[in-house]
Amino acid sequence: MSRAARIEVDWTRCDGHALCGLLLPENLANDADGFPLIHRAEVDPANLRHARRAVSACPALALRLERT
Amino acid sequence: MTTVGLPAASPTAFGTARLLGGVTHGGRADLTTHRRVHGPQHHRTLDELAADASRVRLLGRGGAAFPVATKLAAVPVGPRTQVVVNGSESEPASRKDRTLMTLTPHLVLDGALAVARALRTTHVTIAVHDEAAYASLRAALEERTRREPVTGRVDLHRQPAGFVSGEVRAVLRGLDGGPAVPPSRRTLPSVSGLHGAPTFASNVETFAQVALLISLGPAEYAAVGDPEEPGTTLLTLLGDTRTRGVVEVPTDLPLDALVPGEGGPVLLGGYHGRWVHDVVGRTAARPGLRAAGLPLNAGVVARLPRDVCALAEVTAVARWLAAQSAGQCGPCLFGTAAAARDVGELLRGRAAPAVEARVAGLVRRGACAHPDGTAAFVASALEALPDELAEHRRHGTCGRPYGGVLPLDGAG
Repeated sequence: MSRAARIEVDWTRCDGHALCGLLLPENLANDADGFPLIHRAEVDPANLRHARRAVSACPALALRLERT
Repeated sequence: MTTVGLPAASPTAFGTARLLGGVTHGGRADLTTHRRVHGPQHHRTLDELAADASRVRLLGRGGAAFPVATKLAAVPVGPRTQVVVNGSESEPASRKDRTLMTLTPHLVLDGALAVARALRTTHVTIAVHDEAAYASLRAALEERTRREPVTGRVDLHRQPAGFVSGEVRAVLRGLDGGPAVPPSRRTLPSVSGLHGAPTFASNVETFAQVALLISLGPAEYAAVGDPEEPGTTLLTLLGDTRTRGVVEVPTDLPLDALVPGEGGPVLLGGYHGRWVHDVVGRTAARPGLRAAGLPLNAGVVARLPRDVCALAEVTAVARWLAAQSAGQCGPCLFGTAAAARDVGELLRGRAAPAVEARVAGLVRRGACAHPDGTAAFVASALEALPDELAEHRRHGTCGRPYGGVLPLDGAG
């Protein structure tokens, strides 16, 4: 069963590595400094796998997936 | 030369003096005067207090204008619960909270003690930065030791300076011995605040309003002001305004009574506030202002005199805001600095093509509201000052000097 989820950034941890934009372009992109710009916080169930991969790839542990 | 600078020492009440009752010629109301004006301290149960606060639609007087009744209902009752009075007043242009703490400390204490009693706790903590405010509260507590012993404890703490350090969660962290910067997780103080305990934290004026609500009763409290937010409110006026400094006004007072007709642009809501051309048709009531996209925040209203360079004022504050970033969050650290540089370019008459994108990049990208507030300040200035921007673009200057109308040192 798929549940709704939101992608969230812990801004105090984020160092702008800019991997998240490559791994989850459906929800966010990285600005010139590498910090994410979330254009859509809600993650489609179909993209949950991508979202989880982006969360675990973040070197700063700054990306979170929150159940809604 | 325009006369500018810090607000006058003596606060003024327009109409009814309530918060400022007992303050004559700017003098401090001691316990005797306070009791003569406001009567003995009465207490209310939590249900009564929440009902009265709800009836008069009392809103927090810090920045967020959160309903007091809702906040009271959210905090668990019991001896672990903490009451925190945020007296850090880190907004450099604001003087209202230190005015209350300095001149009417007993009103603030009555409010804090009443909230504590309603929540069935005896833990009250007051975080203060200003020295005079601290001394006055200390003296007030000593007066009470002799004449009205306080049940439980009132801890008075000196708080470090800094705009972002005044945010309530930063204050709570600082009180717990941590860095006075906002935490990353959006924890609610009502769940986990001071010492990890449930905490009712609010601004100084909010507690003073609670004391007034109890001493006047809801009907009399609501006899003046806007029905959406009855009562009075404190504002700090600066620049080219009818009177300068801290004023107490009924919330339905038209703002153009304070900031009259022809003049320069007006800043509503301080350094996280917004620039407007004028305040025609606006009152001091927070709900109406908020509906118009103009949060009053801590109540700072500034009108720039016509003979100073508005863009230079905006640039100086934008730089100050950038320097106030705690540096925890990248978009804020880099974005506020870049926005300030861009405004500085516009001041010199040069192009800053990325300024709008930079400002947009500050919104909802931090652990606290600092980047958002900075974005609002800069974006609204660019909107409200088209003529000034055009002058600078054409001639590299407007020919008027920087006036230093908006103070930058108040929190330091």
